[in-house]
Amino acid sequence: MKRVAVDIGGTFTDCFVVWDGNYVQRKALTTHHNLALGFNEALDYACGDLGVDREALLSEVDSVRYATTLGTNALIERRGPKVAVLVTAGFKSVLPISRGRGYGEGLDISRQMDVPNAARPDPLVPIPMIRQVRERIDYKGAVVMDIDEDDLRLQLRELVDKGAEALVVMLANSVVNPAHELRVREIFLEEYPAHMLGALPIVLSHQVAGRKGEYVRGMSAIMDAFLHKVMYHGLGTLELNLRNSGYQRPMLVVHNSGGMAQLNSTDALQTVHSGPVSGVAASEHLAMEAGLGNVVATDMGGTSFDIGIVVEGGVKHYDFNPVIERWMVSVPMVHLVTLGAGGGSVASYDRMYHTVKVGPESAGSDPGPASYDRGGLKPTVTDTDLLLGYLDPENYAGGKIKLNPRRAKRAIEDTLCDELDLDTIEVCKLIKQTVDANMANGMAAELRARGYDPGQFTMLAYGGNGPLHACGIARSLGIGAILAPPYSSVFSACGAGNMHQMHIHESSVFMVLFDSNRKQMFSDYARFNEIVADLESRGREDLTRQGMRAEDIRYRLELDMRYGNQRVETAVVTDLNRLASLADVLKLMEQFHTRYGDRFGAGSQAPEAGVRINTIRVCAYVELETVRFAGIKPTGPDKAPGAPVGRRECHFVGIEGAVDTPIYDDSALADGTRIEGPAIVVTPATTYLVEPGWQFRAAGQGAVWFNQLAG
Amino acid sequence: MGHTDKQMKDALSADEQALLNTFLDEHSLFYGPDPAIMRDHTIGPRSAIEDELLQGELDPHALNLVRGRLHAALDETYDMVEQMGTAPGAKWGDLVTAVYTATGDLSSISPKGVVVFSGVCHYPLKFIAKYWAKDPTVGLHDGDGFIHNDSRYGNIHNTDQSMIMPVFHEGEVICWVSSTIHEGENGACEPGGMPAAAESKWDEGLKMPPFRIVENYQVRRDLLTFLQNSVRDPKLQYEDVKVKLHACLRLIERIRAVIAEYGKENLIACLRKNIEDVDIEVRRRIREMPDGTVRTHAFIDGTLRENVLIKYNLTVTVKGERMILDVRGSSPEFVNRSINTTVASLKTCIATAYLLYIWPDLPHNMACFSAVEVLSDENSLLDSSFDAPNCMSLIPLFKSFTLPTIALAKFMYSCPTRYTAIYSSHFNQPYTFIYGGVTQHGEVTGNFCADINGNGGGARENRDGEHAVSPCFGYMCDTGEQELIEEELPVLRLVAQHLTKDRVGFGKYRGGLGYEQLITSRDAGFWGFMTGGTGSLHPSAYGLFGGYASPVYTLCKIREVNVFDTLKTDPRSFKFDLVELMNEQAIPGAKYGAYDMGMTFEPVQEGEVYMICQGAGAGYGDVLDRDPNLVIRDLEEDLISHETARALYHVVYDEDSLVLDVEATRAARAAEREARKRRGKPFDQFVAEWVRAEPPEDLPYYGSWDDPTRIYAGQGAGRVVMARGAVTGVMMPNPKDVRIAELEAQLAAATAGRG
Repeated sequence: MKRVAVDIGGTFTDCFVVWDGNYVQRKALTTHHNLALGFNEALDYACGDLGVDREALLSEVDSVRYATTLGTNALIERRGPKVAVLVTAGFKSVLPISRGRGYGEGLDISRQMDVPNAARPDPLVPIPMIRQVRERIDYKGAVVMDIDEDDLRLQLRELVDKGAEALVVMLANSVVNPAHELRVREIFLEEYPAHMLGALPIVLSHQVAGRKGEYVRGMSAIMDAFLHKVMYHGLGTLELNLRNSGYQRPMLVVHNSGGMAQLNSTDALQTVHSGPVSGVAASEHLAMEAGLGNVVATDMGGTSFDIGIVVEGGVKHYDFNPVIERWMVSVPMVHLVTLGAGGGSVASYDRMYHTVKVGPESAGSDPGPASYDRGGLKPTVTDTDLLLGYLDPENYAGGKIKLNPRRAKRAIEDTLCDELDLDTIEVCKLIKQTVDANMANGMAAELRARGYDPGQFTMLAYGGNGPLHACGIARSLGIGAILAPPYSSVFSACGAGNMHQMHIHESSVFMVLFDSNRKQMFSDYARFNEIVADLESRGREDLTRQGMRAEDIRYRLELDMRYGNQRVETAVVTDLNRLASLADVLKLMEQFHTRYGDRFGAGSQAPEAGVRINTIRVCAYVELETVRFAGIKPTGPDKAPGAPVGRRECHFVGIEGAVDTPIYDDSALADGTRIEGPAIVVTPATTYLVEPGWQFRAAGQGAVWFNQLAG
Repeated sequence: MGHTDKQMKDALSADEQALLNTFLDEHSLFYGPDPAIMRDHTIGPRSAIEDELLQGELDPHALNLVRGRLHAALDETYDMVEQMGTAPGAKWGDLVTAVYTATGDLSSISPKGVVVFSGVCHYPLKFIAKYWAKDPTVGLHDGDGFIHNDSRYGNIHNTDQSMIMPVFHEGEVICWVSSTIHEGENGACEPGGMPAAAESKWDEGLKMPPFRIVENYQVRRDLLTFLQNSVRDPKLQYEDVKVKLHACLRLIERIRAVIAEYGKENLIACLRKNIEDVDIEVRRRIREMPDGTVRTHAFIDGTLRENVLIKYNLTVTVKGERMILDVRGSSPEFVNRSINTTVASLKTCIATAYLLYIWPDLPHNMACFSAVEVLSDENSLLDSSFDAPNCMSLIPLFKSFTLPTIALAKFMYSCPTRYTAIYSSHFNQPYTFIYGGVTQHGEVTGNFCADINGNGGGARENRDGEHAVSPCFGYMCDTGEQELIEEELPVLRLVAQHLTKDRVGFGKYRGGLGYEQLITSRDAGFWGFMTGGTGSLHPSAYGLFGGYASPVYTLCKIREVNVFDTLKTDPRSFKFDLVELMNEQAIPGAKYGAYDMGMTFEPVQEGEVYMICQGAGAGYGDVLDRDPNLVIRDLEEDLISHETARALYHVVYDEDSLVLDVEATRAARAAEREARKRRGKPFDQFVAEWVRAEPPEDLPYYGSWDDPTRIYAGQGAGRVVMARGAVTGVMMPNPKDVRIAELEAQLAAATAGRG
């Protein structure tokens, strides 16, 4: 297999190339003005490693796949067109009010609690750019009031006159009856035909999100319109670059749903967070390849700690209303939780409890930790890691950043030692213990809220700081096995290299499987089957349009179900793609019962209150060939590491005094190497900290296992 | 106590009194609310083991790890309840889970939870410990769960239901957990659980003192059936009892894991230290404030049945580390109106105000208010007797979330440390539609809409308030999605959310706006609405440092017409705007009306339109100090009219282009400042012309006037004056009787002289 996978991040463009049996990882700086340049540079490095020129490589690979955080960055920087929105009359303020709670979406809990300082984010669509359409459709899809077309034309004209560069239409209940949204588009195109100079893109909300919920659907459509230009300009440049470099196949773009599609079958919204989602996808692939069972994927970088869950047996964890930047939207996105904990997290004195508090404040990269010597005065986790001896001041970030231990020490002494009445090292240990416990608690809440026991999971630790804190986190969480995966410095790109082409279509329904008032079971099988068939057909069209063969397409049916009038919607994956009998209905209910009980506790189920399906979702996908990760579980005989390249005095939580700790270089990643903690393994991309009581075992392809030793 | 009883009591020796007490303890007819529990909002003394542990060597960092684990567990269980809950309140964030010390003090709540719910749970919990645990017919066992909702035993109002469970370890209670949801429907005389029409506590629906509904971790179906049989929505009652139970079970599981990992000593010490550390910090923060007294008050303009003026008196005194909140001089209680509150509920709401608006960085537990002393008149609106109805206690309680912020802002302004922004009043009325009837799916229901979560935020010292941001009692709550609500309920919003132009507290910084809501029923069987708010005649949220109060709001109706017909046949006659609809009254044959916001349950016909506004926050500072560019922005966003910009803010600009004329604005404002001086009066003259010794005779007035020890009730010849210490409840006449009397008088006048 020959394949290129790329993750374009805010700082680096990561490249992962599969060239028959060779796997190559390379990085280059992201070139925002022309993404192709950074891509070419990274790819050229890889080509150099392989001894192939770029055009030859691109002409032979089966696909080029992109994951990117470009959308996220564009949102943060508010880089997008002037979007105008048309809403149903009477819904004019739904977007600015953002369900009330919009002021706190995307913020940490302490800022959410501070109501007197509440501040909504600068809107993507300012109030003057929101206009009303005099129309109304009810929840069943019946027209309550026809569109006032004359008034609509007037509103359109005013928005265009105000400089609208993109138009979003969000009409109430359009997901059950899109007629009015479609009519708005017709009128818009009559007034402003596509061939007109400066024609505006128009986005209809029901085509972006299939679920009810006018605010989240509206925000999804706005985000789609807002990102459309920057994403397509960026990705279009890349596609053109590929064409010019000899690549003739369609470019594939990773979606935040965990699948991917061609650029022309991708909504801009679907690309947001696709980088981190690719990391979860890579984790899933590794878990399957290596038979890891349940996996909790963790990515600890400079400012944040991302958590994803991969469970054996196909249960998918999505967020249907994820928060992107500061807004809640409606899009099925692979579940990711981000905690404000990273190397840059600031440690401060907690006067209330006479202890140390870590985060949520972050020193970021500018000024960064005190030891960066760039003016930062606040002690951070990285400063702590340095003073505890885990980091080499001369070789941090591959030697790109020189760390100044005196700055780190001063920052800790100035802010924490006196208050805590502890010496510097004791404070550092406390910070390390606290940040590890914070991350462990975050992971525990995530897993347990879904009914999982952390002890049944393998932890995957990637990202710059992951392998440094993995042992501490896992110990706090009761996890005894950690895998620092191969290619962890380009892990998202690696994930992109293993995705399947997939499209998700869903439909909001009000479908009562068991009506407890009337004591009746659902019997309108034709309706259910018709909806499923329609969703399958939409997925099939998407895939066949991209050249997939209909017979290769697989479908996964997922139902969001609930008891009575609950809010919870437990996603049930079912093999029943059609209903034909009462037994089928009962089977669905049984599957829901089991999943719900796993999540909330045996006996918490309440079928007596009725059972409903709220959403029917079909994932249509084609399984493509994946990268093989053979031998990432240690199987062969253990071998001792080579001689340490150095020794440092390190300090560990729970151990008095300094511990003389050997330092190994990347030769320790040779398959079969076993090292008992304490030890540190430094590679150009990562520092692996093997804490006392843990064992380091290198396996194939650069995979590293940490196992807690008995006792 | 009768005269004879008193004589007998005086005659008893100490031994005899002890014997009598023992007899009475053993032969109690009824275990009513215990004043010794209900009047004490402070943290209790350490238990023996707590004292031993806290006297010993404690590792604060180990306790911090335990604390982190507990918070993670509380967070997890909050999410569970929010996800699993059936009540609209649960879906939109009106819930909490909490953990208490073994002696029943609230130690920690779920980070996202509504504080008040747990802040009152320690009362019933202490009742369980004091009475049921020792009662041979009840007892306290591992696996027990107690349900509770009666505010007389500790609750905000009876629509909130809690599950309280002891956590046993080695045969002893090591701590307690609870889970609370605003359930809504509770079988009261009106649907939805907040009956404005209740004239006695017997009209309030379910009144559950804490009783054991869970044995051996299982819900007793006979008792659950009793509860289901007592409410309009048995499905809601069934599901949410299970939800609350399973959240408690999960919490217990997590606590047991903490014990296994860190030991019971660290758990016990952590729970107690949570409280003591916060108490110490609160006392330090009080010390940080300047000594002094700030007097303020609020007026409530009705009982939800009649328009009267009701005083909520508040004096805050700081002296050293003492802070005294004195609410004496407030209105007497209304013995046949639902707006009274117990003092326990009052204190909890004020405590919540501290956590929301004064010290939002403090950990959420009962110690945040333990250091504050509260003085109140018994049998008053704010400290009502156990017999007074209080199911709409929200009316004074919502003021309790914001009035202290007005007083405390004066102290906080001079403090060396800002824990949050100085904040004008958040809007403070429970403005939402309460509904009841039969849904399009054939289900009987009664509850309220999530718009209660969209109160406008107050202006800040440095910026405008946020529009419709949160309920005055919480944060990160949710006004919901209209499409989802319409799917479940037979209602249709003709205006879902439309910011209320010109209706806000103005100022240098304006409050956040509320929004209009126009609702009608569609596809219902029997259906009706009610609203339970005041503030239609007198503003609700007061401004700060010269900022305007929020405006008053009315309930408007378009009746005797099916608006759906109008939308089909003459759609252009319908305006999606409350003000235009009411001013133009363009629908032929419709009956238009404006009313106060206290509407008891009213059946509606399909297509009749009910219109209310969510309220706006109050302003901060002088309107003439408002940055003219902010005025222009408000115009661009259609939040204010040209009239407001010109007449109130005195800003000069071109109305077509909205281009500001800086110089002309400066001149206009200077002119207005001069005009103000001309309109002003010397203070003595103002006092002489304005101040009256007593409330006007024709004003139905309840509460003190100037002297807080003299409390007025009523008007005209029927007015009574009560002295402090002798406050008694007031009985109000039936509004229908009043109306009949008025009509009869009119009839008599009209027919006079006809022979």
